[in-house]
Amino acid sequence: MADVSKLIPGQKVLLQGNEAIARGALEAGVALAAAYPGNPSSEILQTLADSAHSAGIYVEWSTNEKVALESAAAASYAGLRGMASMKQNGVNVAQDFICNLTISGTQGGIVLVTCDDPSGVSSTNEEDARFIARVACLPLLEPATPAECLSMMKLAFELSEQIGNLVVLRGLARLSHTRAGVVPGPLPESKRRPRWDPSQRWFTIPVVPRHQAMLDKLAKAGEIMGAAGVNYYDGPQRPELLVVASGSSRLYADEARRMLEAGERVGILHLGATWPLDQELILEHLARADKILFAEEVDPHLEGGVKSIYAQHVRELGIKDFFGQDTGHKPPVGELSPSRVAAALADILGLPWQEVDPAYQEKAQVAQALVAPRQVGFCPGCPHRASYWSMKQVLAADGREGIVSGDIGCYTLGVLPTGYQRVNAVHCMGSGPGIASGLGKLRDQGFGQPVISVVGDSTFFHAALPALVNARWNNSDYVLVVLDNSATAMTGFQPHPGTGATAMGQAGTVVDVEQVCAGLGLPYAVVDPYDLEATQEALYDALQIGGGLRVLIFRRLCALVQNKQGGHPWSISVDPELCRGEDCGCHRFCTRVFRCPGLVFDEATGKATVDEVVCVGCGVCAQICPAGAIKARPKEATA
Amino acid sequence: MVLPAAPFAPQPTGLERLLAEVINPGLCVACGACLGLCPHLIFLDGQVAAPDPCGLTSGRCWDLCPVAQRGGPGAAQGPIGPVLGAWQGRATARDLEGRAQYGGVVSELLALALEQALVQEAVVTAAGPRGAPQGLRVSGRSGVLGAAGSIYAGGGALGELNRALAEDACHPLAVVGLPCQIQALGAMRAHPDYPQTLERIHLVIGLFCTMNLPWRGVRDLLARHGVQAPLSRADFPPPPAGIFQVWSGGAYHELPLDQVRAISYPGCAGCADLTSEGADLSVGACEGKPGWNTILARTHAGAGLLELAAGKGLLELEPAQPASLEHLNQAAIAKRKRAAAWSEERRHG
Amino acid sequence: MKALKYDPLDIVVTGVGGQGNVLASQVLGRALLDAGYQVTVGETYGLSQRGGSVMSQVRVSSGPVLGPMMPDHRATAIISLEPLEALRLVGTYGHPGVVVLTNDRPLRPQGVLAGEQAYPEPQELRATLEGLCAKLYWLPATAAALKLGNHILANVVLLGALCALDLLPIGAEQVEAALAAMFPEDKMAPNREALAKGLALVREV
Ligand SMILES: Cc1cc2nc3c(=O)[nH]c(=O)nc-3n(C[C@@H](O)[C@H](O)[C@H](O)COP(=O)(O)OP(=O)(O)OC[C@H]3O[C@@H](n4cnc5c(N)ncnc54)[C@H](O)[C@@H]3O)c2cc1C
Ligand code: SF4
Ligand code: SF4
Ligand code: SF4
Ligand code: SF4
Repeated sequence: MADVSKLIPGQKVLLQGNEAIARGALEAGVALAAAYPGNPSSEILQTLADSAHSAGIYVEWSTNEKVALESAAAASYAGLRGMASMKQNGVNVAQDFICNLTISGTQGGIVLVTCDDPSGVSSTNEEDARFIARVACLPLLEPATPAECLSMMKLAFELSEQIGNLVVLRGLARLSHTRAGVVPGPLPESKRRPRWDPSQRWFTIPVVPRHQAMLDKLAKAGEIMGAAGVNYYDGPQRPELLVVASGSSRLYADEARRMLEAGERVGILHLGATWPLDQELILEHLARADKILFAEEVDPHLEGGVKSIYAQHVRELGIKDFFGQDTGHKPPVGELSPSRVAAALADILGLPWQEVDPAYQEKAQVAQALVAPRQVGFCPGCPHRASYWSMKQVLAADGREGIVSGDIGCYTLGVLPTGYQRVNAVHCMGSGPGIASGLGKLRDQGFGQPVISVVGDSTFFHAALPALVNARWNNSDYVLVVLDNSATAMTGFQPHPGTGATAMGQAGTVVDVEQVCAGLGLPYAVVDPYDLEATQEALYDALQIGGGLRVLIFRRLCALVQNKQGGHPWSISVDPELCRGEDCGCHRFCTRVFRCPGLVFDEATGKATVDEVVCVGCGVCAQICPAGAIKARPKEATA
Repeated sequence: MVLPAAPFAPQPTGLERLLAEVINPGLCVACGACLGLCPHLIFLDGQVAAPDPCGLTSGRCWDLCPVAQRGGPGAAQGPIGPVLGAWQGRATARDLEGRAQYGGVVSELLALALEQALVQEAVVTAAGPRGAPQGLRVSGRSGVLGAAGSIYAGGGALGELNRALAEDACHPLAVVGLPCQIQALGAMRAHPDYPQTLERIHLVIGLFCTMNLPWRGVRDLLARHGVQAPLSRADFPPPPAGIFQVWSGGAYHELPLDQVRAISYPGCAGCADLTSEGADLSVGACEGKPGWNTILARTHAGAGLLELAAGKGLLELEPAQPASLEHLNQAAIAKRKRAAAWSEERRHG
Repeated sequence: MKALKYDPLDIVVTGVGGQGNVLASQVLGRALLDAGYQVTVGETYGLSQRGGSVMSQVRVSSGPVLGPMMPDHRATAIISLEPLEALRLVGTYGHPGVVVLTNDRPLRPQGVLAGEQAYPEPQELRATLEGLCAKLYWLPATAAALKLGNHILANVVLLGALCALDLLPIGAEQVEAALAAMFPEDKMAPNREALAKGLALVREV
């Protein structure tokens, strides 16, 4: 990411939504930013980290989202501005703290940024994190463009300081990863000195009066946001249809209206502040039209809120028709798009809407039969492929119907064919060892299946530790496999405790997985997953021991990181004389079963070959070929 | 609508069927004939497994599996198969004492065949690092000695033979095996896609066998009796002993025979061959003469090797006692009957 | 500022994770922004970078701010680093007037490598694409990039090819300037060559 503190005020640049959020925070004078990496939010903190030295602020990758927000609160109590960014799942991790923080209140401005992922493109769910604003009674801002990301971040900090509470800004995957023109403003000229006034104490009791104070803050926030101009109407005086929209959906509605040439008939109420809802504004605009459509992503947050305001005022407003999730005009799952909004508008307005000539559409549809799906998979040379290969082989050889409890990271792909579908369950960060811990206590009731829990090195520190302590304490019987690729690869190679590197590039202290295991009194061993035989021997033996938690650390650098650090050692080729191809004795074992994309089966010759553009030269496949046909030679020797 | 089955639709004869009819129902006897041919079948800690589907509808794994191929035409010969000469004997060498199962005849003959360069490598069965038996290639006396004796558990040694045959080599090989393995060797030699077996296997020594044990079952049984695996030696003393003797780390234990029978391979019950009828030489215990073997020479090659060993004074040989042979015949008939009953039962569900 | 021939000008850049399509769209977006247009570049990130289909959309207008996602069947051009991906997106964004520029080098999806699915014959793929667009440019971008020393340059080759068409309101020099703003000078030589090669490839057609 770029150092956004160097941008020249007033000069328009192409910024990603996440970069604009970072720049907005800098312009607001953020002093401490913390996060746990998670798509689609990761670039926010990465950008701040890359700007930290020149901006003179502290930026940290924390072990998890709750810790990140707690650090941000610390800045707030010291009178500084702090922020934490996370993906929607992270809000759940931080929720307990959020729900108490909102009662105790805050000092310096503090902002929670959540980047939701409609359609779950990079997530295990497509949760709508706006719920947190309702649950914790927090003001909520929803930008639609990178330019708004910047301006709303500034507003969020101001607002937080004025009401003395946390403010939530909700991004969306598309917005996070959209680049558009942004005009940066100036950075603050002076810095605050951190000090926690010892007479100030932050806690939640007595609960009832403080709960009331929290509600008062929310009401005040509503007023401030109402005056800030983030909500506005755009359309004719008396439209036939009013679209109430937030986030990217505002742009989709606008574009749909243009495509249908319905500018005279449709008005859009743009809501940048979506909690608390501005009751007066909504009543004023409900009065304009008799048909109302909601355009928002994931949950019917606006839809429910507006309808409940309407219910209180139905006598003044008269009969209205509402369109949205309840009528099928907004999908209850998945992302919205301009086409989906256009279809809804056309349906409500009775307009003809044809995306493309039906004859073309049909032809294009028929052609899709040629297009094989492209399932995601481990990269060529990925150590996880080798790790799952060994788990699959060993669990089959073990023969007791072993279970693999998965977790979150690149290795979640173990549920797919690329990981031989060897993973039996995946939920949230750290849930793998917890589930394994429960399974490992069912032995006395006859549960004889061996259990493996796989966690990445970053996940290990994020949320696996309590489950491991639990398993150790209660003597649960399972094998923990730590897939240690020394990177949080899924989200873009952020450092974590096990690497010792920090967000700002200074050396931290390495928190060593082995030492943690030793400290917990857990037996452990380290193996190299590229060495299939040694890995399989170690895993098989670990499964046979039984009796308690034991740990195997599969340690091998992420292939993508290795590519950047000098690459892999082998030049791979297939000897066509030796290759058994489709004959009994192999039947395309490397391409059909092992499935590294570096290997291709040449239908013409009936032999396997190596795709030199894809293969990185890790050498693992040479170990699985039954004929010794896959040759690994040192790269220099062939160069 | 249910379509009537095509009358002549060929049944698949590959891994899928091997799994369905042999491995998954627990009938595999770990002979190893299906191992080492391809990467789909693996053997670890005494057990065969197939982690992934193979996708071919015909293949050698099925064709060679002695359990899959059961129920063919019965043996034309008498209950103990073709016999050129029946002997009882033992090895004279000191280095076999305490190591060999009984008389050490098998080990001595193998060592001699290697020494005489009749073969260059021998495939034998010996305990691996986890205590489970496994196939091993040896090329001299010390290797043969290392594999002497048995712990009576399946070791999949034919997989090692398959691997040897897949190599780009042409030297002759010897094999020691149980009757199921000798049957599989017959299928290997007859297989149109496996010509190297005929060319390279020059000596086959078969063992007598009534039943074999799965290693993991043995290990669990030992654990139940508080015996530490691995075992250095095991034996079934002749009836009416009713026990299974095991030696572990110098200590001696007895396990009740009925418990051992209960864990034996279910697939052994369908095996009709007591004496490895397809071998060059078959060797078993010599009833009533502890420390001696019964030896059946079946082919001229087998008889020749035996003669050479006796001539060199390596073996002490005497003609088999008629009473003992009669006993062997009775036992062989009993095994055939048991197998026939088993096949019958399976055919009728 | 030159008037846009198409307004909005909607360009889809697609390919397989790791082929550098995000970079290509970023360069294009930057060049167009610098030329004074309203630009929105929508990118797919995350999980799909692991060997999945990835797509970015470069949306250009002279007026309103556009959202990160274009409407279906309205792309002006589809640029693809992999031919099957071109066909995949023609199904969503194509129409009889769309221009398709694609690399001819297949990257077979996992299921194809595993023998579970088929990859169409190049001729069939090409003919099908041709039947679904106004003009197809079927270009050996990877081959050209490999000649320049690195297959990753295929994305810049395709950018060069795009510049040779009469779609953009800017020329190759402006694309080159955007590249130069993103790469250190010592890495620019192969990029310049790749741009030139792309231009030449289209002119040869
Ligand atoms: C499972 C099993 C069941 C048997 N059942 C009977 C029986 O019912 N009646 C009878 O008379 N004899 C039986 N025998 C044969 C047994 O008596 C002796 O193995 C045989 O007499 C040879 O004795 P030896 O002293 O010459 O052997 P040694 O010289 O000690 O040589 C033993 C040879 O047996 C091989 N071997 C050991 N274990 C196995 C195995 N699991 N699979 C294949 N080969 C192995 C070794 O490779 C070694 O070469 C059985 C053997 C086994 C392994
Ligand atoms: S695994 Fe080996 S023998 Fe089999 S197809 Fe691949 S290269 Fe050929
Ligand atoms: S060496 Fe083999 S396993 Fe490794 S990247 Fe190349 S093809 Fe894939
Ligand atoms: S490759 Fe041949 S031997 Fe191996 S599983 Fe398939 S059919 Fe059986
Ligand atoms: S009996 Fe032998 S050939 Fe049959 S499945 Fe078992 S090991 Fe394979």
